[in-house]
Amino acid sequence: MDPFATLGLPRRYALDLAVAEKAHRELSRALHPDRYAQAGASERRDALSRAVAVNEAFRTVRDPVSRAEALMTLLGIAVGDGHEPKADPAFLMDMLEQREALAEARASRNAVAIADLRDALRATELGAQAELAAGFDSGRAAELVGKLGELRFYRRFIDEAQAILDDLSDCASTA
Amino acid sequence: MAYSDKVVEHAENPRNVGTLDKSDPTVGTGLVGAPACGDVMRLQIKVGEGGVIEDAKFKTFGCGSAIASSSLATEWLKGKTLDEAEQIKNGDIVTELNLPPVKIHCSVLAEDAIKSAIDDYRKKQAAKRAST
Repeated sequence: MDPFATLGLPRRYALDLAVAEKAHRELSRALHPDRYAQAGASERRDALSRAVAVNEAFRTVRDPVSRAEALMTLLGIAVGDGHEPKADPAFLMDMLEQREALAEARASRNAVAIADLRDALRATELGAQAELAAGFDSGRAAELVGKLGELRFYRRFIDEAQAILDDLSDCASTA
Repeated sequence: MAYSDKVVEHAENPRNVGTLDKSDPTVGTGLVGAPACGDVMRLQIKVGEGGVIEDAKFKTFGCGSAIASSSLATEWLKGKTLDEAEQIKNGDIVTELNLPPVKIHCSVLAEDAIKSAIDDYRKKQAAKRAST
């Protein structure tokens, strides 16, 4: 299934989130069960399954990782377990060092250091997304599978840093 | 998702977490990552006389299954010769930890880390022989 077509969006990596949100909102409204209250059973079922597809498509395009995966799949490029190149050793070394820095900041409950690490990785993530956008637009998608892998490492790190920060602020507010 | 008891046990009490001196010529370091999920794993072995693994350490940033897989791998590695260590297969880890299909890649990562550590040690030894 093509999530871009489902939402009536151009099949591109660069995404205007506001446009995607608007498309999702309008389609969801048009397919709302209330509008089909008088319709026949098969028409109602059809509208419902289209509404589900619209939600799923929006979730896919909204996320930078799953958007890249969807585009690659549409282009016939295999992604996921066993299809992707091994990460570059220098890249892994860098990620490991960042992870160790995060673990240290967590152990010393240093929220500022954790936020700094998160923000630095966010900047790196945005850079990787810009590279993906340019690469997809110039038809070099097949060369970008490694970059997609890097994006997952960044995402994983950022999610973890955020979870630690949330945890620290929960503890602080209940203390 | 429910983890097996053995995974929980290793994830909560990981064995052999730590670092060996990677510039030591008797230490082999394996650094691997899983692009499909973003886990990073470092596994190190220290090889003594007769090619027997004296010590093994790991550091894994990832899910409980990845931590348990590497923790188990270091336990298995100690006391083995390099040739024996090379025989460890990810399937052995899957069986021991009762990993579900979605977590098999964690055991693959651990096997990769073992191979990569052995490889690093052998390269160091070959370089040492070449320079003497």
